[in-house]
Amino acid sequence: MLGEVVVGLAIGSAYSLLAVAVVLIYSSTRVLSLAIGEVGAFSLYGALWAHTHGIAGWRPSVLVAGLLAVLGGGALGLLVERVVMRRLVGRPALDGLVATLAVALFLALLELAMYGIDPFAAPSPVGHGNVDVLGSTLTAPQLALLALAGGVALGLWLFLTRTRFGLATRATTSDPTVARLLGVKVNRVYVFAWGVGGLLAGAAAALLAPVQGSLTPFSLTTALLSALAGAVIGGLDSLGGAILGSLAVGVVTGVVGSRVDPTTSAGVVFLAVLATLLVRPQGFFGSARATA
Amino acid sequence: MRRPEATRLVAGGALLLLVLVAPAFLSLPQTSIVTTALCIGIVALGLDVLVGATGQLSIAHAAFYGVGCFTALGLGTHGVPWPLAFAGAAVMTAAVAVVVGLPSLRIRGLQVAIASLAFQLFAQQVPNKWDGIKFVGETFERPGWLEDETSFYYLAVGCVLLVLAVLARLRRTWPGRSLVAVRDVEARAAAFGVSTGRTKLLAYGISGAIAGLGGALFALQQTSVSDTQPFILRESLILVAIVVVGGARSPVGILAAALLTKALPGLLGTDFDVPGLGPASQVVPAMLAGLLLLAVVMQPQGIGGVLRDLERAASGRRERPVPRPQPTDAVVAAARARALRDVPRPLVQRLPTPSLLVARAVSVRYGGVIALQDLDLEVRRSEIVGLIGANGAGKSTFFNAVSGLAPTTGTIRYRGTDLLGLPASGRSARGVARTFQDMGLVRGDTVRENVLLAQTWLASYPAVGGLLALGGALGTERELRRRADQALELFGLQHLADERLGDLPYGTMRIAEIASAVASGPDLLLLDEASAGLTPEEAHALGDRFRALRDELGLTLMVIEHHVPLVARTCDWCYCLESGVLIAAGTPAEVTAQPRVVESFLGRGSLEEVAT
Repeated sequence: MLGEVVVGLAIGSAYSLLAVAVVLIYSSTRVLSLAIGEVGAFSLYGALWAHTHGIAGWRPSVLVAGLLAVLGGGALGLLVERVVMRRLVGRPALDGLVATLAVALFLALLELAMYGIDPFAAPSPVGHGNVDVLGSTLTAPQLALLALAGGVALGLWLFLTRTRFGLATRATTSDPTVARLLGVKVNRVYVFAWGVGGLLAGAAAALLAPVQGSLTPFSLTTALLSALAGAVIGGLDSLGGAILGSLAVGVVTGVVGSRVDPTTSAGVVFLAVLATLLVRPQGFFGSARATA
Repeated sequence: MRRPEATRLVAGGALLLLVLVAPAFLSLPQTSIVTTALCIGIVALGLDVLVGATGQLSIAHAAFYGVGCFTALGLGTHGVPWPLAFAGAAVMTAAVAVVVGLPSLRIRGLQVAIASLAFQLFAQQVPNKWDGIKFVGETFERPGWLEDETSFYYLAVGCVLLVLAVLARLRRTWPGRSLVAVRDVEARAAAFGVSTGRTKLLAYGISGAIAGLGGALFALQQTSVSDTQPFILRESLILVAIVVVGGARSPVGILAAALLTKALPGLLGTDFDVPGLGPASQVVPAMLAGLLLLAVVMQPQGIGGVLRDLERAASGRRERPVPRPQPTDAVVAAARARALRDVPRPLVQRLPTPSLLVARAVSVRYGGVIALQDLDLEVRRSEIVGLIGANGAGKSTFFNAVSGLAPTTGTIRYRGTDLLGLPASGRSARGVARTFQDMGLVRGDTVRENVLLAQTWLASYPAVGGLLALGGALGTERELRRRADQALELFGLQHLADERLGDLPYGTMRIAEIASAVASGPDLLLLDEASAGLTPEEAHALGDRFRALRDELGLTLMVIEHHVPLVARTCDWCYCLESGVLIAAGTPAEVTAQPRVVESFLGRGSLEEVAT
């Protein structure tokens, strides 16, 4: 049981990376991003392709490919912000959601057209060691996910509370207009949110795909949905809440998924989202503003 | 006949003809491909009820399609005749969709879409639990006359036409008008008697029923289903793309987008390569996604918007009437409109009473801000009561308290009943109608549709009856329309009934809003800055109209006014607010003579001017 919880936490860590990306983007731009999972996946596809086929005679190792996926995710996040999202500032919230849905669909279908429907082999970028924890075996990528999620949570907390730019980000989150009047370059905050979101998505993709065994179009979007479920339960505008929520979704998926079956665990997550939205629509740690 | 209607008829006729003769040009497998695409088209039309009419997004419609499909299969393989299986699938899917839509009762935000995503993830796994798929090998027998693909194609076309007919009815019934009101003016829809919660769930129900019908049609076409690919997340995303690219609220555009996405690759054949890009089956969906991006960024109206532009270009410029109210004799017009008072209100709510509205210790707080504090006031029957005060004094807040749109403490008794215990949408039935300072109506709808919207509480037929044109719905709608025309005539707006409200000058829109409020058959009419946007002559005429409404229609009026001469000329009694507190009450002459009122309302400088 405890071992399953730990494995669930590892999967939840991948969700939490995606959830942090979603919350960063949502808090600064009020856009609920469905795109960020596929941003990571698209970048990983490219990196893995380079790993197997080589670009201009250079074949990056798996680890370098993983790092490339992270950087590529960041770059793609910036591109999406610049080309699509910036044109939608001030438009209704639904337009933002549909636009990110369009980006996800576009990237996934592009993956399908470029790399085919067959699962793409995703080797672990961090080696193949195993560790036994409380009766369950944790693979190296799962361990890396746990460590990375912890590091990211700590790093972001330090950044948001201890740096000037972090303060500007928090100001923009609470009121973009006032932040602008106070001299915060709001656009930079948006760029930052999408850039960091893309980096996190690239990292989540690079580590989650080996855990799932392979990479397929929409697989990261499916993971993103679990992250979104967790973020809604924890609170869409609360970093800590979203991390806890997505860890919880990971644990439910791990425990119920292996004890009963994946259908039941998805059903439990759906009911949890439904119940949260009915009882406490802003999520457990969210502020009421998030529901408007 | 006006030219746009003619253009539309010709275009629609040509399209229908094309659809009817299409099988003659297609092979049987190709016909079957088009039929499947029509099933998806039906689901997309269902999704549009949420996206276009209500402004909600569901990313679970492929799952709803599956719910309809497997329900129909389950019923059909157990010997239920196919029409009943179809109906069962529609009802089942509607119920599921309502459950998924429940969070919309609590929140307006995008989180509702997340609930639909979570449902999608759950539902698409359910068939895996059924040891492969439960219905593999079982078949949903088609009746003899539906066995060949061509006749089945016509059944699919028939289903599409049925859905289009229901959607057309929707716009002419209270459910449809309520959907639009909730989308455009959600916070105010309750003041028109629209129950926002019920309306949203209704939208999910209608949307789900249509999606379920599409699924049932697919089930009968396939006769057995072994592949869950049509029901997975990817397809839900594609359905959203179809609706957005097709154009929200544009059924023709949506069907076109569905056919392009779902039928075109199949019609081109699996071995067809788009030059330089790859197989059509992969390129076409990717192009749809690209179009979706373009649509969201550049042309939010989609194919439907392009079609509307073409239609406008084809029919040329229409001659527009001068969009101003026609001058009418207020007294005569009001006398002619007395039938508007005939509304089914219980006798106890019609009895003469000296005090119609009594407010005691009414306070409204928003967080730390006190918008209204311990207000006591009274509105006697058949009076015109003015409410004056500077901006931010709490006048509109008081109206919001009365109509249930503000968090209020204290008591507001209307005919002895405390309004604060009633839902906001129940007040128009009681006889309280209002207008908003910055317009509460739906600008995209016609003037008449808005007047009909305000009469929602009088539309007593059930929603399903309205959509299927059963059970006296048509008669009730005719009666409401007659009332609407009467109310428009009362304000000299009869010639503007079919104009889009948003195309009218501001002052005329405001008059249309008063007409809407009067059409709901109120006893108490709350008018928020009715004279804003009017010319001085029109403002003067408005005063006569207030009196006519009271004398001929027997209404009681409470008016928020900045136009002091209008207050002085028409009001019997007057209250003045300052910073949420009542500072004066009396006849207009008494109130406007008080130095504190002059100072508060007109500013300190004016007082000195008056003094010198």
